[in-house]
Amino acid sequence: MSSALLLQSLILGILLGGLYALLAAGLTLYFGVMRVVMIAHSAFLILAGYLAWFFTVTTGWDPLISLVITVPVFFGLGVAVQRLLMTRLKPASLTMMSVLLTFAIALVIEGMLGFTFTGVQRRIKLDYGAASIELFGAQVAVVKLVAFGLAVLALGALWLVLKKTSFGQALRATIQHKEAAELVGVDTAKVASYGFGLGLATAAVGGTALALDATIYPSLHWHWIGPLFAIIVVGGLGSIPGAAIAAMLLGITQSLLQVPLGTTWAQTVFYLALFVTLIVRPQGFFGGRLAQRF
Amino acid sequence: MESEHLLELVDIEAGYGRAALVLRGLTVRVPPATIVCLVGPNGAGKSTVLKVASGMLVPRSGRVVVQGKDVAGDGPQQMLRHGLAHVLQGHSVFPEMTVAENIKLGGFTVGDKAVLNERIERVKTVFPIVAERWNDLAGLLSGGQQKQVEFARSLMISPKVVLLDEPSMGLDPKTTATVFEQVVRMRDHGTAVLLVEQNARRALETADVGCVLDLGRVHISGPARELLEDPELSRLYLGGRPAA
Repeated sequence: MSSALLLQSLILGILLGGLYALLAAGLTLYFGVMRVVMIAHSAFLILAGYLAWFFTVTTGWDPLISLVITVPVFFGLGVAVQRLLMTRLKPASLTMMSVLLTFAIALVIEGMLGFTFTGVQRRIKLDYGAASIELFGAQVAVVKLVAFGLAVLALGALWLVLKKTSFGQALRATIQHKEAAELVGVDTAKVASYGFGLGLATAAVGGTALALDATIYPSLHWHWIGPLFAIIVVGGLGSIPGAAIAAMLLGITQSLLQVPLGTTWAQTVFYLALFVTLIVRPQGFFGGRLAQRF
Repeated sequence: MESEHLLELVDIEAGYGRAALVLRGLTVRVPPATIVCLVGPNGAGKSTVLKVASGMLVPRSGRVVVQGKDVAGDGPQQMLRHGLAHVLQGHSVFPEMTVAENIKLGGFTVGDKAVLNERIERVKTVFPIVAERWNDLAGLLSGGQQKQVEFARSLMISPKVVLLDEPSMGLDPKTTATVFEQVVRMRDHGTAVLLVEQNARRALETADVGCVLDLGRVHISGPARELLEDPELSRLYLGGRPAA
C-alpha cells in the first residue's frame, strides 16, 4: 500500500470512526441507564435517514435542516417508548425481554418504512454530493466531512449535557449507582425516560448524518446493528467515552483493511473484535471501572 | 406536640414481595444527637429497618414518624426532604465521578447555591479527606476514604438522622476504627445516627443506645454500655465474654 493510499485510508477511517461513535452513543446510553438492549436503535437511525430524505425531496432544503424537527420528535418518541413500553417489563428480566421487545419495534419500523416509501433504494441528492476537497494531500468527499462534523457537534453537545447540566449529573449518577442516585434525591424513573429520549435524539442526528452518504432502504438497519453492538461491547457496555474510542479504532481499522481485503472482509473486523473482547475482556476495553459493574 | 425523638419506627411489619415478613412489629426510636445501633444475627432484619426508614421499602403496617409526623409510605425523595439520609452497605460512591461531583450530588435536592456552598465547606471541615481528594475520581479512593465520601455526601442535605448500613463492611481493622471515629464525629456535630452493624461489639462501643434484633423485632434495648456488659447478651450475640 502506497503512503498516499495509506493516508487516504487513515483520514477516511477517522471520519468513519467519528460517525460510528455517534451511531453507537445512544445504544450504549440505553444500556447504561436502563440495562436495555435496544435492537431497534439502528431501525430508528434508518427512520431518521428516511425522514431527512423525505424532507429534502418535499422542501428542496438541505437535509440537515430536518434535524430541527427530528431531534425533538425523536426525543419525545424515546420518552414515550420508555414510559409506555420499557417500564412494563419486569426488572428481573428487563435486559433479556428488552431484546425481544425492541426486536419487535425494529420490525414495525421496517414494515412501516416499506409500506410508506416502498422497498426502493433512496439516496439524498445534494448540491455538494459529488464535491471533494484535498486534505493533507488526500481527496476527501465533502459529505463525509459534513457527517463527521455533525458527529463531532452532536457528541460535543452530548458531552456538555452529561458533564455540565444537573440532568447530566443525575443521568451519570443513575448509570453508575442507581440505588445511591435515588437516595440523593434523583428521580431515576424520570431520568431513565429522558435518558432514553436523549439516546433516540442521537439516533435522529446519526441517521441524518448516515443518509448524507449512503443509499437507504427499509431493511438497512440489520446491516448496522451488528457492528454497532460490537462497538459498544468492545468499548465497555454503558460507557459513552469507551464506545467513542472503540468506534474510532474500529473505523480506522476497517478503513485500512478495505484496500487489501475489500469492503466485505474489512467489515469482519467488528465481529473479530467482538469475539476477542468476549474471550479476553468481556467487560470491554475502554469502559473503566464503570464497565466492571456489568 | 413535638416528639422528643427525631425518628420513630413503631410496630413496623415489612417484607419483600410476597415472601414472609422480615420485620414483625418492630419499634425503634432515635433521639437527637444520639447514635442508636441495631445489632443481631444475620437475617434479623437490620438492613430492612433502614430501608423502611429511608422509603426504599414501604412497610405493610406500622408508623414511620419523623418529628411527630407519620410519613410511612413516602419514597426516598420525600424521606430526604424529611431529613433522613441513607448510606448503603458496601461502596456506593459514583466511581466515575470526582469527589467534588459526588459531594455536590449529595445536595441534589438543595436549590439554594449559597446554602450548597456553605454545606460543602462544612463537610470539608468534618471530613478532611474530602478536601484533600476533591478533584480525584471517587472510584480511585481506598475503601475507607470512599466510605467517608459517602458520609460527607449524606450530610449535604443537613439531615436530622443518618442511616448507616454496615459502614465497616469489607474494611480492615484500622480503617474500620477511622470510620467509627467519623460516625462519632457526625454525632458530635449534632446529627443523629441509626447504625446497623455486623461487628456488634464495635458498634455498641461506639453507640449511645443499642437494640438487639432477633426474628424481626427488638429483643432488648438500652444504653449501649449496659448491653456490652450483660454476660447473657455477650454470650448470645457478641461472641463471648462481656466488656471489661
